[in-house]
Amino acid sequence: MPVHAPPRTLPAGRVPPHPAAGNRPGAHLARRRRREAATGILFVLPTLVIFGLFKFLPIAGAAAMSMTRYRLNGDMTWLGTQNYQRLWHDPAFWQSLKATAVYVGIFVPLTMAVSLAGAVLLNSLVRRTGTFRALLFVPYLCSFVMAGIIWSWMFRSDGPVNAALGGLGAGPIAFLSGDHLLVLGCLALVSVWKGFGYSMLVFLAGLKSQPAEVHEAARIDGANSLQAFWHITLPLLKPVLFFVLVIETIIGFQVFDTIFVMTGGGPDRASYSLIYFLYDEAFKFLDFGYAAAIGMVLFAIVLVLSLIQRYFIEGRDHT
Amino acid sequence: MTALPVLPNSRRRGPRHRRQLLPTILLTVISLFTVGPLLAMAVLALSPADAPTLPDALPHSLTLDNITRVFDVGNFPTWLLNSLVYSVVSVVVILLTASMAAYALVRKRFPGRNALLWAIVATLMVPVQATLIPTFILISRMGGVNTLWGLIAPSLANAQAVFLIRQFVRDLPDEIFDAARVDGAGEWRTFVQIVLPLIRPVLATLAIFIFLWHWNDLLWPLVVGQTDHARTLTVGLATLNTETESTANIMSAAFISLLPCLVVFVALQRHIVASITSSGVKG
Repeated sequence: MPVHAPPRTLPAGRVPPHPAAGNRPGAHLARRRRREAATGILFVLPTLVIFGLFKFLPIAGAAAMSMTRYRLNGDMTWLGTQNYQRLWHDPAFWQSLKATAVYVGIFVPLTMAVSLAGAVLLNSLVRRTGTFRALLFVPYLCSFVMAGIIWSWMFRSDGPVNAALGGLGAGPIAFLSGDHLLVLGCLALVSVWKGFGYSMLVFLAGLKSQPAEVHEAARIDGANSLQAFWHITLPLLKPVLFFVLVIETIIGFQVFDTIFVMTGGGPDRASYSLIYFLYDEAFKFLDFGYAAAIGMVLFAIVLVLSLIQRYFIEGRDHT
Repeated sequence: MTALPVLPNSRRRGPRHRRQLLPTILLTVISLFTVGPLLAMAVLALSPADAPTLPDALPHSLTLDNITRVFDVGNFPTWLLNSLVYSVVSVVVILLTASMAAYALVRKRFPGRNALLWAIVATLMVPVQATLIPTFILISRMGGVNTLWGLIAPSLANAQAVFLIRQFVRDLPDEIFDAARVDGAGEWRTFVQIVLPLIRPVLATLAIFIFLWHWNDLLWPLVVGQTDHARTLTVGLATLNTETESTANIMSAAFISLLPCLVVFVALQRHIVASITSSGVKG
């Protein structure tokens, strides 16, 4: 630093630097930096405390707790990987994975199909778009609990669905207590009803952003609307389709509320989902360490799905 | 005046109108699928108790008896109040703390800034169910089981809010902040009087979604509210349904619980549609 540095002129209205700082040109800047940092930390502090306590700590705790036998009174025994070995040999765990996977296998294609159909239809409409969009979206406002309540009434033995079937001469069907695949199908249908409005709007945005010239060109080339949809609309929509696919799969793996309301995991654990298993182990059998291990399995599933999505989508148009 | 182009216009309108017929019909069918069950719920909620009703017959008259009677079922008024407090307090606190954090993370340089942002965004990949047990143990150790603060506190950590608001704050031009400094505004004033008004659209959007998520939440309120007076409306509804409660009462309770969401939706529909179609907020 030059010894005879010219004295800096201070901007008007600013407090001169502390005498001890001398006339070093960097002193004023350093003070400003410190003040800026202090303000930043102060503003971030509430979030830091909340996240530290209720996100970072539980995430670390979940991994640790899954390695212990943990009772509510605080008794804790280190088990290492024993909980995971127990999961591997637990028929209830495999049943819950199977039920969840079958549910996801029905729910995801169904919700994709309905939301895509809704979006394509809305996109082709010239008038009353807003009205139909609202009518199709409105179940999204419901809770899964409310959806479950309404649809368990719909599926009751003396409910409207069976009444309609009776009108057609078909016998009453035990939708929620009979055939296992049927039960999972009904649960999936309820989730589709409740949630497809969201994906539909995502698809609609994707459709609206497609360049009109391409579709125009296809029409001039003599493509009918089905060909245009298959060869132009769908390929252009691929990133959006993939995004919705992953998001809905993640949501599917977290199914709990409708099962809690509609079937209680039954019949014969047909609808015993992963989260229902977790809930039972924690709050019915008070086996918190084991339940934490189930939570880690869900985390692993969601993590893999998120990473796939990140790799394929966010890696491409990262800003 | 030149002649209006009547002929080409009407010629084009014919086939386009016919092309509208099929989508309209199909959309009407899907609308029946979405709205039908909700209408049935409303009819059941408003039917007189002793008259024949759905699915056998349409009620002859509608009444508000069930709605008023529901307030005597269980601890219904308390459930309603708990849900309101849970949702509204969460919206206010999350929006305030997340905006403050987003502002600092974008505009202020301080040690650990990038690590903190990275850590917050990374939590988006951890499903809440995976941390349910440790969170419950923590709250129970802190004495928060069956309390409102125990219900609210863990849900205040909303990474989506921080992330979304940050993207809005990032797009604010530097000049605004320079102007504020020249005018002598302090940090807090700059934040309250300049940043908050400018990011109002994202705040409105998030307010809707956070309200919906909390109002409709089941698992956490179910776990943390174990006595009847500590339940939220959603938990109350779920337990009503498993107990032997009359259809009319359950449907009335469900009907009431949908009303605030309907009001929010009708008032702020534009925000909801715009936000989903632009950024993808997901509950």
